Amino acid sequence: MQNASATRNDVRPRRPLRAWFDVRRRHMGSWAFAINRLTGLGLAAYLFLHLAVLSTLLQGEAGWDRFLQLARSPFFLLLDVVLIFGILFHGLNGIRVALVGMGVGARQHRALFWVLMAIGFVLLAYSAWKVFTI
Amino acid sequence: MAEVERTFRVFRYKQGQAAPSYQTFKVKAGPRTTVLEALQEIRRTQDRTLILRHSCHHASCGTCGMRVNGQEVLSCVTNVQELGAETVLVEPINNIPLVADLVVDMGGFYERYVDAHMPYIRQSEFEPDADLPEGIAQYTRYENCLECGLCVSACPVMGSTSDYLGPAALAAAWRVVAEPRGQDAGRAAEAALEWVDNENGCWRCHVAYECTEVCPSDVDPGGSIMALRRKLTGRKFRRLLRLER
Amino acid sequence: MQNTITGQAARERQERSRAGGLWLIQAVSGLLLVALLGLHMVAHHFVVEGGLRDFQQVLDYVSNPVIFFLEVVFLVVVTAHAMLGLRAIVRDLNLSPAAARAADWILALVGAAALIYGVWLAAAIQQL
Ligand code: SF4
Ligand code: SF4
Ligand code: FES
Repeated sequence: MQNASATRNDVRPRRPLRAWFDVRRRHMGSWAFAINRLTGLGLAAYLFLHLAVLSTLLQGEAGWDRFLQLARSPFFLLLDVVLIFGILFHGLNGIRVALVGMGVGARQHRALFWVLMAIGFVLLAYSAWKVFTI
Repeated sequence: MAEVERTFRVFRYKQGQAAPSYQTFKVKAGPRTTVLEALQEIRRTQDRTLILRHSCHHASCGTCGMRVNGQEVLSCVTNVQELGAETVLVEPINNIPLVADLVVDMGGFYERYVDAHMPYIRQSEFEPDADLPEGIAQYTRYENCLECGLCVSACPVMGSTSDYLGPAALAAAWRVVAEPRGQDAGRAAEAALEWVDNENGCWRCHVAYECTEVCPSDVDPGGSIMALRRKLTGRKFRRLLRLER
Repeated sequence: MQNTITGQAARERQERSRAGGLWLIQAVSGLLLVALLGLHMVAHHFVVEGGLRDFQQVLDYVSNPVIFFLEVVFLVVVTAHAMLGLRAIVRDLNLSPAAARAADWILALVGAAALIYGVWLAAAIQQL
């Protein structure tokens, strides 16, 4: 490029985390992207946690029962609802990203998002009720 | 609406300074005063060292793009009073190297149009014997692109890495594919597809559509990136099924 | 705009189709997961009295070969999707090419370890 010293990249270094998560003044798609990233990170962490928890099965019935008792405490039930929110958002928004990203329904991506979120809300409400009453 | 006074907080930076700063100016704004005019007023009457870019004053040259209160806009068509805020924060667009104050270096940005195989001059569709593809009206006119860089500034992926080709250049590439024109059109379209089919091309985008939201000229770069992907996805599936090599 | 076919061009081409390919795997595995996870949730929590299986119920459930197979498929798909997702995030961190490549390897190893451990766990549970 012309005069390299005339322009400065380093006075405004790129800040990836800010670019993803600073959603002030941004629109629906950026919010969806940011929440998708957060829930994705959370779900990846949960995957490993889940594998660890299942290994208590190997300690026989006593180990598993201890886990069940813990899992039925109100705090853990609340965490379950958070988890279900993460799964629903990531999954339903993911349907949009996958379809739109393959060029399916790209023009209707906004409508698609809100329809999926409406479905998600109903499923979340139902699951939350189920978690606490089952 | 009468004239009102507004506080402008303006991003300042000159070559050689360690870090940018913000300077505050008081400006009178009438009912039709634009952000660009207010900045020119500051230049005229308060600080002649404030530099900015502009040309047409009517949203067609794309040089006056900036971030006003955190939002990418063309300052020449952004009304000060309609912002509805006492303080107006003015910053240069993001993700493009800074020259000074509100001016960024668009050189690298323009070069990508050439890489996209977007010719500066295209065969005219009004030329009677021009070879036009069918259904030309259904294509959005990417020549609408003002080359303002607002989409690049707003894109979360551009904010992560300068390697990403970016929404404007990808939109230009899709233009070359969607509406081939001129003698070398077929080859150019192939080359444009090759150019975008990589990790820093159309596959890098995370479908945030922020580019489309901020584009002042209805180019819909987000949609065109998805169109590129549809084209490439179809080809990949066909290759997988050995229908095409 | 000269396109000479050299070894480099061939390599670039391969590199290219990989990017699109990885994205497609991510998208398709994601869509599959919506179905598989739906099944997983219903089978493990919604149709079970109390929302969680007791010890014996878990053992009975996993000893069904069809279920065992589905659980392993689920594990493979979810791990691939998770690792590819983490990779996309790491790539967006703007690391040096060497660091990015190292991260790829680490993620691949972690994913493989999770897979092996998961399959082993499922098999071990069957032996109980
Ligand atoms: S749709 Fe893609 S190119 Fe446009 S802002 Fe979002 S990530 Fe950037
Ligand atoms: S695509 Fe729109 S926002 Fe991007 S440079 Fe062109 S006119 Fe500006
Ligand atoms: S001055 Fe030309 S677009 Fe604003």
